[in-house]
Amino acid sequence: MKDAVIDIRNVRKDFGRKVHALRGVSLRVGAGEVFGLLGPNGAGKSTLVKILLTIVRPTQAEGTLLGQPLGRRGPLAQVGYLPENLRFPAHLRGRQVLEHYAALAKVPRAVRRRRAAELLERVGMSSWGDTPASRYSKGMLQRLGIAQALMNDPKLVFLDEPTDGLDPLGRRDVRHMLADLTKRGKTVFLNSHILSELEMICDRVSILVQGQVAREGTIAQLTEHSVTYRITVAGGLDGVAAEVRKRGGVIDGNAISVAGRDAAAVNQLIDVLRGAGVLIESVTPQRFSLEDVFVEAVHGRGVGAALEAER
Amino acid sequence: MGTQLWAILRDGFRESLDRKMFWVVATMTLLIAAVMACISFEPDKIVLLFGMWRIPAEGFDATTEMGKSQVLSVMIQFVMSTLLGWIGMMLMIIATADFYPSMMERGAIDVVLSKPIPRWVLFLFKYLGSLAFVLLQATLFVGLTFLVMGLRWNIWAPGYLMAIPLMVLLFSYIYCISVYVGVMTRSTVAAILISICAWAAYVVPPAALEVVESEPSLRANQALVRAIGFAAAIPPKTADIDYIASRWAKAGTSLDLMPQQQMTLPPEEMERLRERERSKIAANPAYSIGSSLLFEALVVGLAMWRFCRRDF
Repeated sequence: MKDAVIDIRNVRKDFGRKVHALRGVSLRVGAGEVFGLLGPNGAGKSTLVKILLTIVRPTQAEGTLLGQPLGRRGPLAQVGYLPENLRFPAHLRGRQVLEHYAALAKVPRAVRRRRAAELLERVGMSSWGDTPASRYSKGMLQRLGIAQALMNDPKLVFLDEPTDGLDPLGRRDVRHMLADLTKRGKTVFLNSHILSELEMICDRVSILVQGQVAREGTIAQLTEHSVTYRITVAGGLDGVAAEVRKRGGVIDGNAISVAGRDAAAVNQLIDVLRGAGVLIESVTPQRFSLEDVFVEAVHGRGVGAALEAER
Repeated sequence: MGTQLWAILRDGFRESLDRKMFWVVATMTLLIAAVMACISFEPDKIVLLFGMWRIPAEGFDATTEMGKSQVLSVMIQFVMSTLLGWIGMMLMIIATADFYPSMMERGAIDVVLSKPIPRWVLFLFKYLGSLAFVLLQATLFVGLTFLVMGLRWNIWAPGYLMAIPLMVLLFSYIYCISVYVGVMTRSTVAAILISICAWAAYVVPPAALEVVESEPSLRANQALVRAIGFAAAIPPKTADIDYIASRWAKAGTSLDLMPQQQMTLPPEEMERLRERERSKIAANPAYSIGSSLLFEALVVGLAMWRFCRRDF
């Protein structure tokens, strides 16, 4: 991994005695990475981001953000943040929103003005800059929020559900914008429920379940452990069904699914089928999607079992 | 940090201007100034609408020092006790009560706190920025009435302009409660209701003391007088503000300190009141304002501590 922009260890957060939002989370995010944090509602994703941004105080935490100990405000000058359910002060216009938050991030006045114009253009809001933010639609607020997060030209950007409220074109624009950010060496930390998008964008993901990291790695790493082979046959499997099941195969009509990466085991099963005179039409290795991995992580079951349950 | 502080103050200013209530109060101010400008004085007469009507006022002559003193006393009473004391204060409490609760709404506070600015600075400058609402109104009202008094009535009392910071001060004694409740509950309604209750708690003891002291039968009950006197002595001393304003308004002039409405009392009662007035006005404004500011600092400090410690 490149130099860690986020390096946290054993982050815990308790709300009172009964709610344990985070139970010892450790993460490393390298410079220039697009990192995705997944998890079901209540998993602690937003709490973790808020701890990194000093919005929530951790019960326990060690580590650094942009090379400085957690909890310091200094590094926040180089951080951009788009929260979930964003609200802007009703008395500000779009351009004023950008300039106000940039001023809070210590951006000089001349730079604020220039960047506000540039970013409004970039998020397709240049003709709305002088309209009060209270009149914006949800999608427009989201665009403005993304622009706001980039006003200080941050090294690290936290985006919580960035495509929430956006139409398909808006989502595509956001993906392009994120790609552009990574080209410029920025680090992006993404919280999202839209797994297909994360799969397209993220270099690495971490799946948070009940306040703990359940899975972590690149998309390839996470999904390569979750391969299944699908064997399609002509005719029935009546004579060999018991043997197929004994070898871990799941029968679905005239198809057999075998979970795991062990090609030898699949070959042995093929030998059994051929020995029984079954005509094999195709053998296809299938890689699972991030969604499958997510479901598995959340339900704590094997991918094959999870898939079977899905079917 | 200058960029950040200026941004917070400017935001408070913009937020004030965005309130409809701001413009309601400003319109009221303009109307009052316009009505005042339609009034002028002649010996034993009050002239309305530039000479259209002349109302006899036996013994009243605003061209004399005594008359000017009476007019100025009425103005101070009007500014501190009427405009701000009741209508203006109520409107301003309502208009500013949601400044903190709205800042602390989920989705809004997150962005602000993700910026490299200490929470205590954010809280404190938001507080000062919020006072811009009253500062603007006070400046408009006192400034306009000062000009009307000078240009139309030939009463130039630069000390009258001290009513501007005093109005802000008086408002801040109540606003601190509104902020405290707003931070603790994030509820605008709770902030309005409790700050109105607090305002009543500030105002009632001094008013009760006035009643007790002016009524001989009640005045005889020393225990009652002491109990109410004790309650009235607890800061913030809102009732002192109009005495201090009166004192500062007339400082450097030869104008009498007695309020106009007491001029017609029997001589011995007038002397007693005059003595009481002198003792109050002679009271150290630094002590009155200082102890009240200490109270305000305590309340604001508690609210700030909570704001700095809580999770959002």
